[in-house]
Amino acid sequence: MTDKRLHRIPDKVEFNDKHSNDFRGDVREHGFHFCGYDWDEKEEQFKVYLHYDQLYYWKYAELSKMGKGLLDKELWGTQCPKCGDKFFPPRVNCWNLDCNLEKAEWIKLKPEGYVHTFTIAGWSGKSSLKRLPFVLAYVVVDGCKTAVANELRGIDPWDAEFGMPVKVVWAPDGDRRGTITDFWFEPADGWKPGPMTPEKERMKELCKPVYEWVATLK
Amino acid sequence: MSRKVCLVGGATTPFDYPMHITPEAMIANCIVETQQDIPDFHLKDLQFMVYSHFSVHFGKQLCPEWIVHDHLGLVGLPHFRVENGGNTGGSALYAAFMAVKSGMFDVVGVAGWETMDNVTQSQGSEFIALASDTRYEALAGGIYPIYYAAMAYKFMKEHDLTEEDFALAALKNRNYAADNPKTQWYRGEYQKYKRDLTVDDILHSRLISYPLKRYDCCLMSRGGAFALITTEEWAKKYADDKYVVIDGAGLSSCTIRAGDRLHFPGWTKLYGEGYPDMTEFAACRRSGEMAYDMAGIEYKRAAKEIDVAEIHDAFSSSETQIYKALYWCDKDNIKEFVREKRTFMEGDVPTNPGGGLMGFGHPVGATGIMSAIECYYQLTDQIPKKHLSSKTYVKDAQTGLVNSHAGTGTSISNFILRRP
Repeated sequence: MTDKRLHRIPDKVEFNDKHSNDFRGDVREHGFHFCGYDWDEKEEQFKVYLHYDQLYYWKYAELSKMGKGLLDKELWGTQCPKCGDKFFPPRVNCWNLDCNLEKAEWIKLKPEGYVHTFTIAGWSGKSSLKRLPFVLAYVVVDGCKTAVANELRGIDPWDAEFGMPVKVVWAPDGDRRGTITDFWFEPADGWKPGPMTPEKERMKELCKPVYEWVATLK
Repeated sequence: MSRKVCLVGGATTPFDYPMHITPEAMIANCIVETQQDIPDFHLKDLQFMVYSHFSVHFGKQLCPEWIVHDHLGLVGLPHFRVENGGNTGGSALYAAFMAVKSGMFDVVGVAGWETMDNVTQSQGSEFIALASDTRYEALAGGIYPIYYAAMAYKFMKEHDLTEEDFALAALKNRNYAADNPKTQWYRGEYQKYKRDLTVDDILHSRLISYPLKRYDCCLMSRGGAFALITTEEWAKKYADDKYVVIDGAGLSSCTIRAGDRLHFPGWTKLYGEGYPDMTEFAACRRSGEMAYDMAGIEYKRAAKEIDVAEIHDAFSSSETQIYKALYWCDKDNIKEFVREKRTFMEGDVPTNPGGGLMGFGHPVGATGIMSAIECYYQLTDQIPKKHLSSKTYVKDAQTGLVNSHAGTGTSISNFILRRP
């Protein structure tokens, strides 16, 4: 008897729908590339410049339904048939030790939720500097037991609120890549920001130099 | 479990960004400094080496510990590397503690380093964010200060705290770092200020992620550290007036994604529904309980029993959250606890007199070891010799706490050190 909790591993995968270069832009792979050096004669200190890049092939495997769903503007989470806990990001086995790795089932989620907590980012990793400042919100989607982090747009950063209702907004056709950046959150229809408060003024003041700095980025 | 495990010596390099010294030379320097303090310690005494290094991305070198081990001349000795995010140092100490406690080895070296100055600060932030769930979090633009800020903001609101309250930890640790010549703060920005920071300095530093500003965050660094872990028998024989006993050790874990701990079944069973939410560090609470239990410390008396602590202040907010996770205060009195400056030198739980991560720096693999060494210096009265003055010396301290912390609170260790 096959244990139902086991995930099937396909014998052979042949991708009949390939998009390996759709978003490549000018990204090229070089591997190790030593591009220069510096020398301090007085201290006898030497430094080399190494550039290294690498293309990764992330196989979604049993999470593939989520990836394809994002591409198709559908949010797929999972649910444990035993205890009913619902997850986004999806967990393919239940987290509850009493459920003993029960395999979770796929469930299409309503593209809505509420903000559990949030922050206004004024600094980020290299690839995100130009979109600063932005609100990163942890959102509980459609009654899940977990909150997922993503950007909250369509709002002045200082207007975000704990508990505010939000909706999922999809990136335009052709821009979606089957990743979490295929969507972001925006305030639910009909939501209006509250009045300015001293705290919001403080956030606005902190954001000002960030806007100015980002404008100077090439 | 009758065998006592001791911390009998160790040293850190200066922490800085950038700094021109290789990992193998950093560890060699630390061992030389340890030998200056413990002249009878020789490399030949070592029976096992635990290496503590977080990200091979910074050096583009897998298994960099092999270079260090080989360089030290220790070929033939058993060794492995521990990697456990920001808690790499604490986890390496935990491994060494287990190695001696188990009776397998009598003398174990722990050596850690990080070379974060090999890349730009924003690239470094992105590397570290690869220790979050890259599929869902790093990709969405998240880096650690952003995750911590989202947790801190909710914590701040729920405990009626302010940016000024967090700022107290930020200025405390930097101002103490000004008394410690190896710290990145002393070596760097302090030379411009030449004065103590104020709450206003913290509030006026640039936004990183609300409510955290630049001075609420720790530093990215190059640095190394070494600690010597032995049996009490060895310690008595070779370092009689200079060792401490590791009376308690705890290690615990939490979810990688902070958003997954709102209703985690294991925590609900242990602490009830709603804990830790996204505001508390349950792995800190749990590993603290383990360490307190082992050391015979009643949780509610922890603040009274601990004379000095070196904790993982990656952010001013997380230091404040740790006060509560370790039972030093609770929801009702945390505001007073912070405002009465209980964790300052003049308070009853002086915390991070060595400068902490915000003042000393945070070269990840070296950090937890640095915290342990600073605490060890306090309990063996070596601070006046190691720091610039006795301002940051906690006299007559009997019991110390060392805390090391990873991820969004994903792995956390706590240790209780005591004078023999």
